[in-house]
Amino acid sequence: MAERIVVDPVTRIEGHLRIEAEIKDGKISEAYSSGTMVRLLEEILKGRDPRDAWAFVGRVCGVCTTVHSLASCRAVEDALGIVIPPNAELVRNIMYCTQYMHDHVVHFYHLHALDWVDVVSALKADPKKTSEIAQSISNWPKSSPGYFSDLQKRLTTFVESGQLGIFANGYWGHPAYKLPPEVNLIGVAHYLEALEWQKEIVKVHTIFGGKNPHPNYLVGGMACAIGLDDVSGINAERLAYVEQLLKNAKDFINQVYIPDLLAVAPYYLDWGAIGGGLGSYMSYGDLPTNGYNDPSSFKFPSGVILNKDIANVQDVDLRNDTEVQEFIKRSWYEYDGGEDAGLHPWAGESRVKYTGPKPPYEHLNVNEKYSYLKTPRWKGNAVEVGPLARVLIGYARGREDFKAVVDSTLAKLNVPVGALFSTLGRTAARGLESILVADWALEFYDSLILNLKNGDTRMAEMEKFNPAKWEKTAKGVGHTEAPRGALAHWIVIEDTKIKNYQLVVPTTWNASPRDPNGNMSAYEAALKDTPIADPEQPVEILRTVHSFDPCLACAVHVYDEDGKHVSRVKVL
Amino acid sequence: MASITHSSPHKLRRVFVWQLPVRVYHWLNALAIVALCITGYFIGNPPALLSGAEASDRYLFGWIRFVHFVAAYIFFFNFLFRIYWGFVGNKYADWKNFIPTNKKFFQEIWQVLSIDIFLKKNKEHMSVGHNALAGLVYFFTFIAFMVQCITGFALYANMSDWWFADLFIWASWLFGHDDFALRNWHHATMWFFIVFAMVHVYLVFYHDYVEGRGETSSIVGGWKFIDEEAFHKDQQDTAEWEVKKKGRAIR
Amino acid sequence: MISKPTHRPTYYEELRQKGYSRRDFMKFCSMIGAYLGLEASGIAQVANALQKTSRVPVIWLHFQECTCCSESFIRSSHPIVADIILDKISLDYTETLMAASGHQAEAAMHKTMQDFNGEYILCVEGSVPTAEDGVYCCIGGKSAMQILDEAAAGAKAIIAWGSCACNGCVQAAKPNPTRATPIHKLVKGKPIIKVPGCPPIGEVMAGVIVHVITFGRLPELDRVGRPKAFYSKRVHDTCYRRPFYDAGLFVETFDDENAQKGYCLYKVGCKGPMTYNACGVTKWNNGTSYPIQSGHGCFGCSEENFWDNGPIYRQMANFPGFGIEADADKIGMVAAGATAVGIAAHAIATNFRKAKLIDDLIHEGKDAEKEL
Repeated sequence: MAERIVVDPVTRIEGHLRIEAEIKDGKISEAYSSGTMVRLLEEILKGRDPRDAWAFVGRVCGVCTTVHSLASCRAVEDALGIVIPPNAELVRNIMYCTQYMHDHVVHFYHLHALDWVDVVSALKADPKKTSEIAQSISNWPKSSPGYFSDLQKRLTTFVESGQLGIFANGYWGHPAYKLPPEVNLIGVAHYLEALEWQKEIVKVHTIFGGKNPHPNYLVGGMACAIGLDDVSGINAERLAYVEQLLKNAKDFINQVYIPDLLAVAPYYLDWGAIGGGLGSYMSYGDLPTNGYNDPSSFKFPSGVILNKDIANVQDVDLRNDTEVQEFIKRSWYEYDGGEDAGLHPWAGESRVKYTGPKPPYEHLNVNEKYSYLKTPRWKGNAVEVGPLARVLIGYARGREDFKAVVDSTLAKLNVPVGALFSTLGRTAARGLESILVADWALEFYDSLILNLKNGDTRMAEMEKFNPAKWEKTAKGVGHTEAPRGALAHWIVIEDTKIKNYQLVVPTTWNASPRDPNGNMSAYEAALKDTPIADPEQPVEILRTVHSFDPCLACAVHVYDEDGKHVSRVKVL
Repeated sequence: MASITHSSPHKLRRVFVWQLPVRVYHWLNALAIVALCITGYFIGNPPALLSGAEASDRYLFGWIRFVHFVAAYIFFFNFLFRIYWGFVGNKYADWKNFIPTNKKFFQEIWQVLSIDIFLKKNKEHMSVGHNALAGLVYFFTFIAFMVQCITGFALYANMSDWWFADLFIWASWLFGHDDFALRNWHHATMWFFIVFAMVHVYLVFYHDYVEGRGETSSIVGGWKFIDEEAFHKDQQDTAEWEVKKKGRAIR
Repeated sequence: MISKPTHRPTYYEELRQKGYSRRDFMKFCSMIGAYLGLEASGIAQVANALQKTSRVPVIWLHFQECTCCSESFIRSSHPIVADIILDKISLDYTETLMAASGHQAEAAMHKTMQDFNGEYILCVEGSVPTAEDGVYCCIGGKSAMQILDEAAAGAKAIIAWGSCACNGCVQAAKPNPTRATPIHKLVKGKPIIKVPGCPPIGEVMAGVIVHVITFGRLPELDRVGRPKAFYSKRVHDTCYRRPFYDAGLFVETFDDENAQKGYCLYKVGCKGPMTYNACGVTKWNNGTSYPIQSGHGCFGCSEENFWDNGPIYRQMANFPGFGIEADADKIGMVAAGATAVGIAAHAIATNFRKAKLIDDLIHEGKDAEKEL
């Protein structure tokens, strides 16, 4: 018998997402993913100054803050033919790496860990044994029996107060939680440590961009002028601060995040065969080492892998209007060209037209339009974007650094390469690229110092900042790899104003509804065939959805055969 | 309103039009507005000074702003004084010169428009104090004065220790607590003053050029020259004005 | 599993249970006191408050937002967020951090709304779209409008986090297609603390919460509804670059010599003179820096309508009603130019139209001259 479950809202993500799924024989047979919030920033941007766009689109997301601002600056620079100075590129790269380290750690501990770590079980842990395990996996200093015992006491007091706060109503005790109490206690300890750590690493953004979240960017470079001999500019003190923060971050990743990942993974190796989904992956590439216009210099290579064929990596051209296209057949929008049209973003339209049920509603009509997300396709193919895509493409392109971390991890866990195409693979890939990024950040820092030593202190190319020097019309595309995947902004400038602005964001690739041919996007495909032990407590859905690190708010629905909504998940 | 010909030359009489307080008001006002416009423009668009001087060695922008604020206080209290003088001054200073209260006022506006602005007839318009159109335009400038004082002091309130500027803080509320908008309107209203000053100075010259009755010098000495016929009519008006004013005072 | 507590332990009791001494507790109170800028006598008040209060239940809603406020909140360094959520408040609902999802999440919220009716604090992050009956933001099948109405009814006080909740922020910029509406326009009859900013500074957010739970009352608000403790001064008046402004020394373009010397950013569009916030004093991320210190002007993210008061890199805002490009000076210069042309035309026309009159006067004057 098939039934439908509803989990709404899915938490520990950014934004508002809703997924409806049918369950048959203890497995998901169909899933529908819906974005339920819209702000129409693309409409608001029309007619504005292109140099201001980064600030507007930066506000698309405060979790993956910086990435939209970066993509926007690149789009405008691309349109106007501005080449930014090497120092600005390096500062942007350092901020980018900072964002990755922060975002991946916060995702692992604060958004994803509670799907795998049972907080309540940690109360039963033996602090001494916990300490032994902790010291066996890492030389991180906070690992004494006393440390864990204090933490456990604090946790016990907290639970006994009856006010469970953010931990209330979790699926504690669910059979899908497999970690021993001691590993759970390590997880909780590091949940709290990571919460304290994450506020430190972002100071790199504060130094270069003035604040975090939402540091400031600048079309043409960066605003943080170098002033080695002035108290106000970026001087030796500021640079030393950055270096220290990057080193501390690298320590945390290598001594806490990665050991935890490797300690938890063996208990959940079955998830190496669940949640694979599309098997097609795309990355635009990022982290230029020789300028944005030389993609071969990118630390993250670009490319597309279709149907797990890692021997054959295809190239991506974001300017080609037959490659990236967006469809709205199942989305609450309308196009001038009709329901089945696919538009390249330079010709994109964002005219919203809601046809869903009137709130409050029990479920969406998933046979028609059911989301505010459009459906992007690459040459008609659904592709998955994100850490797994980047790591696979780096691996498939034969990059040594990628091969080293992937192969050693697979060996440690004793699993085949195929295990990467899964929920576990996605979560592991995030950790693996964190190791790489932590090293690269210090490389970029060293390059910046070398540049300054050589007397190059330029931080912005302001020659074309004046709109009087612009062409009457210009088109640009700015792409980046956000922590959550491939991100690009397309801009059309006319008479110094924004004529059209379109964003195709990672979660749109992953969480979008079906295309006009009825093909699923990544979430829906990955959820298909996921086993659900208890429809009342669908923690399995959360594991797979969270493995993508969604950047919108989400809700999951499960229905019975008649489409009747049967399951209200009860209060614990 | 006499049309004269070559053969009948003007017989001019001297009239004391602008009392000393009115003249002092006028020049203080003019000076304040010039100072406010110049400093105000620089506050909105500071000049480029590329210099390596220590910030502590100079206070240029501080002085610009200081002059602006001092001039603003002078401007405001001077304006208040002028309103007061509108009730106690002579006929030409009376507040009724500025607010259209009767049909005659509108008729005169039309006359001035057709004779002096559209240059319809080859003759001159004879008035002694403010003509009706000028009076109405001054009324608009008074409104602009008020807008400028209110928005200016509202912007200034948070920099001021004195309670006085706080009296205007409600203006921020009028603009939806949007100090950008407040500032923008304050800046835009400055251009009204610039345009007004251009037209005002031109028309003074125009009147002297076309009529030769001492328009320009009147604001220095207070005297204007007027045709005999118009002089007698004005005498009658003055008598009527005094009676009415006494009546008002008695009541 | 969760039952309504019969006795809720106070902070003091909790700290004692955790093995902290009375001395430690008083030290903590002094630190909080110092942070809030209190005199020694105020510290006793803090100690008293913390000994009496139990963890205040908080519901944190998310509507049209980007989660930057939540992110900023977890960046707070004093107190750190782990201490806030474990020891100070009971954060019973927040989509960003809570373990539960779906109906379990909603149930947690409803339980708090029932058990602590009239006692919980409602935090709202994001604006509420009111166009089309609210379909532009739905959570759990309900519109944001419906959820806000329900949650606000039993709230003791409401904290509007960030510019979205305080003034609509970016989605309310023209033409505001979803009719994004700030909280104070939708909820009446409840005390609302506005904490604007995009996002607000993390320590400011924590400071507002600490103020409420420590003193058991709302902080004093300014005329717009913002806590005076953090929004009573303009960024301009607390900016360390202010002396350069007074000296008339400005950055002319980014990365020029003056920028490297850290001159005032006023001419490249800094909106510090119109912006009320704690950036110049508290600074960001535990006092590391703030936008101006890092070379970019303030763009006024805590002020009403700041997105429409651009462009960011010009000091003068675009003027409404003249298309997007015209600022007050452009309009003024055109008006002055037109006036000059009009004056010239009038002067020329006068010489033709009034030629006879002027001629007569000249003759009259010459005749009189002859008589002398």
